[in-house]
Amino acid sequence: MNIEDLKLLYGIGCLVLGLIILSPTLAMVISLPGGERFSELWILGPEHLAENYPFNIVEGQVYNISLGVANHMGKTEYYVVYVKVRNQTEALPDSLNGTPSPLNPVFEYRVFLRDSEVWEKEISFSLREFKFENGSCRVSKLVLDENSIDIGKVAFWDAENRGFYLQLFFELWIYDSKVMGFQYHNRFVGLWLNATLTA
Amino acid sequence: MKRFKFTIIMFVMLTILLFNFSRVCYTVDRAEAEKALNDAESAVASAYLAVVEAENVGANVSKLNLKLRVAGECLANASNAFMLGNYEEAYAYAVNCTKIVEGLVYEAEALKEETQKSREERFFVSAACSSVGLSFLFVFSLFGWRRLKAFYVRRVLKMKPEVVEENEHRGP
Repeated sequence: MNIEDLKLLYGIGCLVLGLIILSPTLAMVISLPGGERFSELWILGPEHLAENYPFNIVEGQVYNISLGVANHMGKTEYYVVYVKVRNQTEALPDSLNGTPSPLNPVFEYRVFLRDSEVWEKEISFSLREFKFENGSCRVSKLVLDENSIDIGKVAFWDAENRGFYLQLFFELWIYDSKVMGFQYHNRFVGLWLNATLTA
Repeated sequence: MKRFKFTIIMFVMLTILLFNFSRVCYTVDRAEAEKALNDAESAVASAYLAVVEAENVGANVSKLNLKLRVAGECLANASNAFMLGNYEEAYAYAVNCTKIVEGLVYEAEALKEETQKSREERFFVSAACSSVGLSFLFVFSLFGWRRLKAFYVRRVLKMKPEVVEENEHRGP
């Protein structure tokens, strides 16, 4: 090793030592970019698994599901989950354009979640007052968490899938401080429910 | 005097009864409930924004978050009651929600200022320590380099081959 190599090695050693000494101050100034930012929305069946979701719905019978939201946005977020009901002819949210369903919500949940925090709620629901006539089934009421809601939805007979189908779906909205209001967060989950006389 | 006392007692009792009766009879219409709901929504939104600002400077906002969560539930109840046409319940929940977040903005702002202050102090101490450390490093590295260089030169000189005299080499 010649003197120039030794000089270089010594200089690098001093630089590394200098950086170690500076690191507590640098850590307070430099903020490293976080990972990918996103939110999760899910529903689980009665056993808290992604199976055995209620499907054939008998009038008045109570069914349980779990609704969950997780925040990975890097800060506390303010969410609203809108509950909506539609039949096969009504519009779903548009995932490509990021627009929500034009249907009015029938119920809502509001959640504040810190980063990496999860919110889960067990939801019980039942459909009431079925009226089968002329190839359609009118469902008048949805009872959600003991709140009786007039929905007045008509499900038409689906010959292909053999049933009267309604969809109970949940849209995730997030509070946007720029617009000072809620914006659709382009996430929704739903359950197809077949209105039947017997299970 | 006795009559006067009786009149006063009767007046107080009637006032209390009237107050309670008016509360029972008081009904809330849609407009009132809607206004209360809007007020509650904006109060919760302001509180949320203040809490996020405090969180951004590194404040521990878990207590404030807890309040926000309760307020959020209350606001959802108010909104759901309103959607179901139960305006009295919606009004009561909305008023309660506004009460829960009352003062939360100031709390968050105070927490933010406190955190910023302590952060600035910590930064100052850290910067001062780093400066002292770097100064020491600079001085000691110069001395160190001189010593290291001298050590290196001595070692190199020791390695230099010595000139051997011819006579010594030849032998007898």
